[in-house]
Amino acid sequence: MTPHEDRRPEGPHADEPAIAGRHTETSPAEEHRIASSAPEAAHTDGPTPEPPAGGSEHTDPGPEDDPAGDWLGLSPLSVWANTTVVALCLVPTAIVATVVLFIADLTLWAGLSLPASLAFIGLTTYLDLLRLRAVRYRVTVERMEMRSGIIAKAYRSIPRERVRSVDVAAPIYIRVFGLCTVTVGTGEKVGTGGDQLKLEFVTADQGERLRRELLRRTPTTSASGPTDSAEETDAGPAEDEGTELARLNPRWFAYAPATTATFGIGLGVIAALVGLNAQSGGYGWRWISEQAGLPSGQQMADFVLSRVLLVVPLALFGLLLSGVVILVAAAVETWWDYRLTREPDGTVRLRRGLLTSVSLSVEGRRLNGVVLHEPFVLRSVGGAAVQAVATGLEGDDDKKTSAKSRLSPAMPRARARALGAALMARESSALDVPLEGHPRAALRRRFTRAGVVTLTGLTAAGGLAWLHGVATGSWWEVVGTIEENIIPVPLFSGSVEAAPGWGWFLPAAILGVVAFWYAVGSYRGLGHGLHPDYLVLRKGMAARDTVTLERSAVIGWRITRSPFQRRLGLADVSATTAAGTGMYTAVDVGLGQGLAWADAAVPALLAPFLEGSEDHAEAEEQSTPPAP
Amino acid sequence: MSTDALRLRPPHHRVDRRAVLWWTTRSLATTIALTAVPLVPALIWEPVRFWFLVATGVIGGVGLLITVVMPQWRYRVHRWEVTDTAVYTSSGWVWQEWRVAPMSRIQTVDTARGPLQRAFGLSSVTVTTASAAGPIEISGLDHVLATEVADQLTDSTEAVPGDAT
Repeated sequence: MTPHEDRRPEGPHADEPAIAGRHTETSPAEEHRIASSAPEAAHTDGPTPEPPAGGSEHTDPGPEDDPAGDWLGLSPLSVWANTTVVALCLVPTAIVATVVLFIADLTLWAGLSLPASLAFIGLTTYLDLLRLRAVRYRVTVERMEMRSGIIAKAYRSIPRERVRSVDVAAPIYIRVFGLCTVTVGTGEKVGTGGDQLKLEFVTADQGERLRRELLRRTPTTSASGPTDSAEETDAGPAEDEGTELARLNPRWFAYAPATTATFGIGLGVIAALVGLNAQSGGYGWRWISEQAGLPSGQQMADFVLSRVLLVVPLALFGLLLSGVVILVAAAVETWWDYRLTREPDGTVRLRRGLLTSVSLSVEGRRLNGVVLHEPFVLRSVGGAAVQAVATGLEGDDDKKTSAKSRLSPAMPRARARALGAALMARESSALDVPLEGHPRAALRRRFTRAGVVTLTGLTAAGGLAWLHGVATGSWWEVVGTIEENIIPVPLFSGSVEAAPGWGWFLPAAILGVVAFWYAVGSYRGLGHGLHPDYLVLRKGMAARDTVTLERSAVIGWRITRSPFQRRLGLADVSATTAAGTGMYTAVDVGLGQGLAWADAAVPALLAPFLEGSEDHAEAEEQSTPPAP
Repeated sequence: MSTDALRLRPPHHRVDRRAVLWWTTRSLATTIALTAVPLVPALIWEPVRFWFLVATGVIGGVGLLITVVMPQWRYRVHRWEVTDTAVYTSSGWVWQEWRVAPMSRIQTVDTARGPLQRAFGLSSVTVTTASAAGPIEISGLDHVLATEVADQLTDSTEAVPGDAT
């Protein structure tokens, strides 16, 4: 083992052992308490949090008499919320099953299905009751603590100063019970449960109170002050406090279908159906068409092919329309009632959602920048969306991180830029900084890649054209049979057989043109710049992201060079940070250009390790002799 | 354009010479393991023996080439340096990477040695920051030196206040 593990260079470190000691001491007592006070647990924490009720429960000595905070439980209603959901899913299914089995003359099974599902509901309710009793949390002046676990007890404790974000979500099925889920993001791993504490569920009042308290840095008022909280919940509807940065404009929903997925969604549904049909070996469609008395696949195919100019546009229009409807509906669900405010203490608060209402609070100090997110289709219609670069919003991967970091729906680009500027709250917007382009060599790299793609496409086309030439009638029969088993209406093999062999080069040529067009767009997207407080990076063709990152939030540099980059004098210069995805990269920047930029962004960090400019001598002086 | 001439200078210290042996052994072990995959069916399955032997040859050849070239190349690239203000490393061979982390942003410092490193008396120092970009690792240091470096880093980072984010 290593003697150096986990040494943290921070002040509060000293009190860690004390906390840990307290924990191990109280654990058995705590278990005992939970076991003995189980019957009364259900009413310990009604919707009105009264201190005497809470206090009387924690009669045993120990940390509970810490005046700072009482242990609170989840809302007892959460059990009923879960039970209702399970029942709503299971009982109708069970009734249908009963009827079906009865008709099928399996009376014994028919009689069983309903009691079985009721028993299952009872069991889940019982387990949920156990969970309800086991989970306790409290917020003291210094930390938030949580106990959980029915069999394996867990205790987690995070210093309040480490709380980076508080997410209050209320899906419709728990909102009708007046409940919500509270997720506390810490930006660091807490025990085995990742970097989050999750409370499922507490009352909406409690959720609102936690949201307010946890991000409040002045520890004068503790979370448990009941009169305080009552006041606050009364004052809750007064949402006009703080400055409003953005509010939903329903016109923005027009940008929702501006994604490459608009066609994709319809195609995806069709592909799924085709896949299902293929799974059944084509039997599924045959059964349907027999039942419905449809004409044979061949007849339908002939019908379609004879009216191809009518059918193809109609089909595309249908796909487009279904995609638009689905995407707008999704956007309305996600962004309904969208408001983004900055509260007096600097916390940025996001509220949105129709069926699942979400309230996300990010500590102002932890909002280290913004991302102007412009996917290709949205960009071409002049739209953009804003995401946060903040600590405490990490997902499992970059994609989830950026999904959690969304601060706005798709909106007009000018509005998005203004919102980004308002979020950064500086005199001049970092998004307005003119960006320096990257060397032509970066374009050459992209052309090389496009060339490889084109060559691959042409080779494949050549191969297929050759096959086309040597293919005999029996081949086409086999191909046709396969297609018939997959797609109920065989359109393709026949038309492909009829097409000339060189037809294969057409898609290859289109692919090549697109590849080079993409290469140019991708090169034009590259850029980097400096604002007095922020560094700015831009890249991407399919999804162009302009990232601003506070220069003070940069916690290191990472420069990587592939053999190709070394030959062309390029490098990937990445700023590492605790916020967002953890690393933001200037791709294919000129080595000298990128290093100069990085050196200017965070003075004195990189300087001692640079050479080759007039700074050289100075840099040499700064670098201290090696230690060992 | 003076900035065009700007380059990263190599960090001051090379890793231990024994690291070459360590990398060679590691690469050789990987090569042997990978070569065995097509070799076994080649020995027991008569009809396709030829193709599996070809695969064995190709994998073995590439593996041996890497085993010969990679350790020397790595030894030329892998370097490290600890100043009063920062940790600076370079690593890789075909793809190369330079990392800089300021002392004030270092969260943890570990030393670790696998069984193979131990056999050569080597050790790795891993420096973690709050970033998700991954830790900075100085591998192939002499065991005693690694401990000293880790101690020095720990002392320096403890002197700097803040929560390193």
